[in-house]
Amino acid sequence: MNPIIEVKNFTKRYGKFTAVDNISFDVAEGSIFAFLGPNGAGKSTTINTLCTIFEKTEGILRIDGKDVSTQKSEVRRAIGVVFQDSTLDKKMTVEENLKMHCVFYSVPKSEVNERISFVLELVELSEWRKKRVSALSGGMKRRVEIARGLIHYPKVLFLDEPTTGLDPQTRAHIWEYIVKLQKEKNITMFLTTHYMDEAEICNQVAIMDGGKIVANDTPFALKKQYTKDRAYITTERPEELERLLHTYNLDYIKKPKYYRVDACNIPTLLQVLGEQKDVITDLELKKGTLNDVFLEITGKEIREGTKS
Amino acid sequence: MKTVLALCMRNLKEFVRNRTRLIFSIIFPFFFIYVFSAIFRNDYIENPISHMLAGIAIATVFDFSLRISSTTIDDMASGFMKEVLVSPVSRLSVAGGQFLSSAVIGTMQGLLIIIIGFFIGFRITTPLTIIYMILAMIFVGFVFAGFGLFLATNTKSTQTFQVISVAITMPMTFLSGAYIPLEHLPPTLTYISYINPLTYAVALFRTISLERLATPQSQLIAEELAFEIGGFVVTPWISALFLLGFGALFLLLSTISFARTDFSKVSRGAGEQIDW
Ligand SMILES: Nc1ncnc2c1ncn2[C@@H]1O[C@H](COP(=O)(O)OP(=O)(O)OP(=O)(O)O)[C@@H](O)[C@H]1O
Ligand SMILES: [Mg+2]
Repeated sequence: MNPIIEVKNFTKRYGKFTAVDNISFDVAEGSIFAFLGPNGAGKSTTINTLCTIFEKTEGILRIDGKDVSTQKSEVRRAIGVVFQDSTLDKKMTVEENLKMHCVFYSVPKSEVNERISFVLELVELSEWRKKRVSALSGGMKRRVEIARGLIHYPKVLFLDEPTTGLDPQTRAHIWEYIVKLQKEKNITMFLTTHYMDEAEICNQVAIMDGGKIVANDTPFALKKQYTKDRAYITTERPEELERLLHTYNLDYIKKPKYYRVDACNIPTLLQVLGEQKDVITDLELKKGTLNDVFLEITGKEIREGTKS
Repeated sequence: MKTVLALCMRNLKEFVRNRTRLIFSIIFPFFFIYVFSAIFRNDYIENPISHMLAGIAIATVFDFSLRISSTTIDDMASGFMKEVLVSPVSRLSVAGGQFLSSAVIGTMQGLLIIIIGFFIGFRITTPLTIIYMILAMIFVGFVFAGFGLFLATNTKSTQTFQVISVAITMPMTFLSGAYIPLEHLPPTLTYISYINPLTYAVALFRTISLERLATPQSQLIAEELAFEIGGFVVTPWISALFLLGFGALFLLLSTISFARTDFSKVSRGAGEQIDW
């Protein structure tokens, strides 16, 4: 199957500053694709160029086989966009915003009301339909924007940090919608995030840093390639544990309160634990996370993702 | 066409919802008429009230249509223009909606002055005149909406636009004959007023509202409804043609510069920093 988004050797410069540096990637139709990266990595720049708002400097970008520089109208018809910054018409009501959007995308008049009710129900804002946007909270505005991006049933939905600044419940809900829409309507989701736990849900994750894609794979494959599972052991007899770890040839790091042991070989680890079973006071097994992947590749943490 | 109307309706709604601006724009005509009727009272022109009112009305159309065009900048700063421009609607209809709403609001304001005018002595002999006046105001509204959008798309920040629009509209209104008869101006300024498109809009609109389309040329020149520039007589019809050219040029230029707006180059105005 042909990829729905194709990017080849894309470069974007602002004056002399290179914000995106020769990146290439594909996104499969019907998948959830995430750009993960710290502030200033070039995520928004890439999204804005893909959705025809910015002009590329170099490269080929295609959506559904259409070139974003020469077939702008076709591309625009195929996509929905939720920008990083709000693009709502604040002096108008929620309904007026959605109706206007329907006019822009030529949604048949007979379906407009039905679709507005449907998307507002989806984001649980039905009672706010007649309220001015300026009267909504930040998270509600975000939900209105997501609802608006969906109302014309786009083939690809771009979401630039859709959940930043939302409370955990709303965040979880929005992810429910995203996954549901991807499954039921086969909408391809292209999103950016700083949250590792969100990236884990995606089918494919491209890690971006300093304008370059430093890794691009499924979350599972990324973790497999770049991280190790680890056991955190606290014991009453540290010397004995150290001796055992040496004999069984397990790598470890000694910390003031615990030992961090590489857990790639589970049977050996179990033997060590077995010999110490009466003196171990605390044991924790940790799987590698995308944050570890990021740390491993770039040598730094994603600032806002570390709490996940 | 649907988009043009929808965008125009939205701008009209916004204009009405902005209470302070609405109240100001309703009080504004009364104020102007009060101030300028004092200036015009002892003038030589026959029917000074009508003469003055026509001038104020058309200058108001000019002022409002130019100013309403600048809401485009607010829409860019608030981000809404991004939503519009990422959708498949043509740039032409987006610009069209902007022109139409500017022209409509300008005309409404002009009409408000004329309506007040009827209570203080403005007279016409046939109701057809009022229809011609409205058509003329819509025409002038479009002409200067194009000019306004051109300024707006090329300044990209509300503050800059405000400075530039004052720097341009002030001299344009005062050197147009709308408030101050041109013969009161020093000769050098008279020449400047001849290259001022508003001068011709004023002349055209006055000719229509004073029902002077059939008046002999010498009389028109005496009343500043036509101009003799270096032996060439600019009749009201030539004024209309001149305005048509000016309007078409700026409608075209502003639509082009609007269509070319590359958002990666729009300065990140106050509205763009809203963070989620
Ligand atoms: N309009 C612009 N003009 C000049 N430089 C810009 C512009 N937009 C972005 N940049 C620069 O390009 C780089 C990438 O910005 P971009 O907005 O794409 O980052 P991002 O990955 O989306 O970051 P964040 O996570 O903070 O949203 C940054 O260094 C930024 O300063
Ligand atoms: Mg960004």
